[in-house]
Amino acid sequence: MTTSNLETVLSAEDVRKSFRVGEREIEVLHGAHLELRARERLCLMGASGAGKSTFLHVLGLLEQPTEGRVQLQGKSAWELAMSERAALRNRHIGFVFQAYHLLPDLSALENITLPARIAHSYGTVPFDKKLHTSEARDMLERFGLKDRINHRPNQLSGGERQRVAIARALILKPEIVIADEPTGNLDTATGDKVLEILFNEQSRRNASLLLVTHDERLAKSCDRVLVMVDGQIEADSEVMIPQ
Amino acid sequence: MYVRFLSWRYLLRRRINLIGVMGITVGVGALIMILSIMTGFLEESRKTVRGSLSDVIIQPLNLPRADGSLVPKSAERLLEHLRPDPRIEAVSAHLSWGGILLQTGWDVSESEYRLKDPQGSELAFAQFVGIDVQDEFQATQLREALEREGEYRIPVDDVENPFAAPATHDEPEFYEWVVVGEQMARVHNLYKGALINLVTVVPSPMTDELEPSSRKFRVAGTFRSGENEIDLSRIYLDRWELSDFLSDTHEFTQVLVKLKDYEQERETIEADLSSELAEARLIHHAKSMEVRTWESFRGPLLGAIKNERVLMGIMLALIVLVAAFTVFAILMMMVTEKRRDIGILTALGATPRSIMSIFLMIGMWNALLGCSLGAFLGILGAIKIDAIEQWLSATLRVQIFDREVYLFDHIPSVVSPIAVVAIVLGALLATALFSVIPAWTASRLHPIDALRAE
Ligand SMILES: Nc1ncnc2c1ncn2[C@@H]1O[C@H](COP(=O)(O)OP(=O)(O)OP(=O)(O)O)[C@@H](O)[C@H]1O
Ligand SMILES: [Mg+2]
Repeated sequence: MTTSNLETVLSAEDVRKSFRVGEREIEVLHGAHLELRARERLCLMGASGAGKSTFLHVLGLLEQPTEGRVQLQGKSAWELAMSERAALRNRHIGFVFQAYHLLPDLSALENITLPARIAHSYGTVPFDKKLHTSEARDMLERFGLKDRINHRPNQLSGGERQRVAIARALILKPEIVIADEPTGNLDTATGDKVLEILFNEQSRRNASLLLVTHDERLAKSCDRVLVMVDGQIEADSEVMIPQ
Repeated sequence: MYVRFLSWRYLLRRRINLIGVMGITVGVGALIMILSIMTGFLEESRKTVRGSLSDVIIQPLNLPRADGSLVPKSAERLLEHLRPDPRIEAVSAHLSWGGILLQTGWDVSESEYRLKDPQGSELAFAQFVGIDVQDEFQATQLREALEREGEYRIPVDDVENPFAAPATHDEPEFYEWVVVGEQMARVHNLYKGALINLVTVVPSPMTDELEPSSRKFRVAGTFRSGENEIDLSRIYLDRWELSDFLSDTHEFTQVLVKLKDYEQERETIEADLSSELAEARLIHHAKSMEVRTWESFRGPLLGAIKNERVLMGIMLALIVLVAAFTVFAILMMMVTEKRRDIGILTALGATPRSIMSIFLMIGMWNALLGCSLGAFLGILGAIKIDAIEQWLSATLRVQIFDREVYLFDHIPSVVSPIAVVAIVLGALLATALFSVIPAWTASRLHPIDALRAE
């Protein structure tokens, strides 16, 4: 599959981000740019501390860039009102974090349907308890978690938690899934299973996946690989992987 | 909608919220219960005080006017003036005089013991009240007081004629008979036929000076007005007997008036009667407060109960405030504990505003649960206070509400719906105000910082 002629679903131009640490301003991103195309699987790699997570947070509308633009759904997302941006994030972006980040007081099923409940409050997708519950159940079944539906996160293993988190990221059928080292806390075998699930679901749904990883092997199963070095995307780092 | 879902879930999953709910329950419940009881006391005392005082009290000032004239010494002209008045149902002349009660004969040691008391607290002040029995029956509730049952009651032989010697008393008689309050009889160990010595000072008709005087009387029986102070100190006797004891210097000190419709006349009767009686020269002056309704007469007492109610209300409102503080502390703790959740929710698309709402709503659940439970228990407690007190007294073996000593033989309570609504709204408002700071803190958290929280 070639992706260069596909439309862009998410793009960043000249993103700069600096943090205040005490008296000093530290710039972490020095004009990073990125284009995520429809249905592609894009890998972002780079040394620890290069700024990959920071870049993902800016792209995921969680961290405001000091400078630069993020385009989503044809809108410059950081110029929108906060609630509009929150609605965009809710509807069009699914997050998978390294540390799973499930709500401990909710069951697996409730965690998965939570984005749908939030969407209801924006009126973008009406929450249909029956529909969303059965969708969540289907996913849990496909992911091999049929018997874990009403478990709470602390009753699940790391691999199981991450699968619940993937289901949560997908419940609203977003165009974009952003995953920051989703297997970073898992052993290789479990990590591979989780990734298989993630990749399967992505293809099924024709979603775009932006994946940060340190795993060289993973690069082979991506459409493109970008390398971040010191807060910038290396110009020649765009590697096309022939499928 | 997810705001309600999550706030409710957080409330249930954090048992510590129960403490906030319980605090509000206790505060609201106690406020409602105690205020109901205080209101009951107020209304009940109004009734009791009214019974013993009659509607209007006329107390002519015994001072010379500018022309040297005085109000009439006899009550007759005043009574005759008042009786035909269409607003008035009955009138009764009182001759009130203060003194002390001492026992005689074998019982004298009782009095000695009281006189030796270093604190003087046992020394019995006595209020002698001379009455015309039939008039008094018409104008006040004396008949009911004579007939009312009580643990220490000594019934008079003939209620219609309470100052008559008992039929069983066959000794040759030198002494007149009096009726004493039931509590006085209890305190002084009086019995039917007991000889008491009433001691007082009397204006001397010769010298115009006050001189000591005493006279012995026998106890014919007791009355129970229900008002402790009166039952402890008042002695009823025939008005002419008392006048004689006071060397004929006074024939009456007050006239009690019972109105046909007090509620209708209460606003105007003082001024109307004052000017009428001043016109007829039966009182000293129209503006000298000689005519007073029982409410203005007992104003300080009723005012004291009202003040006490306000004070109690303030104290109990502090409990509600402390409960709201508890909710504040619990919410603050939850915000810290839920930092990561807040970050996650933001990543899933929640706005700061809805995060604020979640925590505000947890506070409101606390308040709503506490208020409903508190209102329910408070109202139940106010209605069932008598049963509760009896059970408590029996269990703890302590007499909490001594029906012998208090004004009333049950604990009165009146639940006012307006007060209940005001208390509940106040508690809701206080909790809402105290929830704002934690909720605001939660909404101000930076999502990424929050996600990093361990
Ligand atoms: N809130 C912050 N305040 C100050 N400095 C920060 C903050 N967030 C990130 N940084 C700094 O920005 C740099 C990039 O961090 P980032 O987490 O994006 O790296 P990364 O590429 O994701 O690394 P890793 O592969 O280890 O996850 C780091 O040097 C980090 O110390
Ligand atoms: Mg990182």
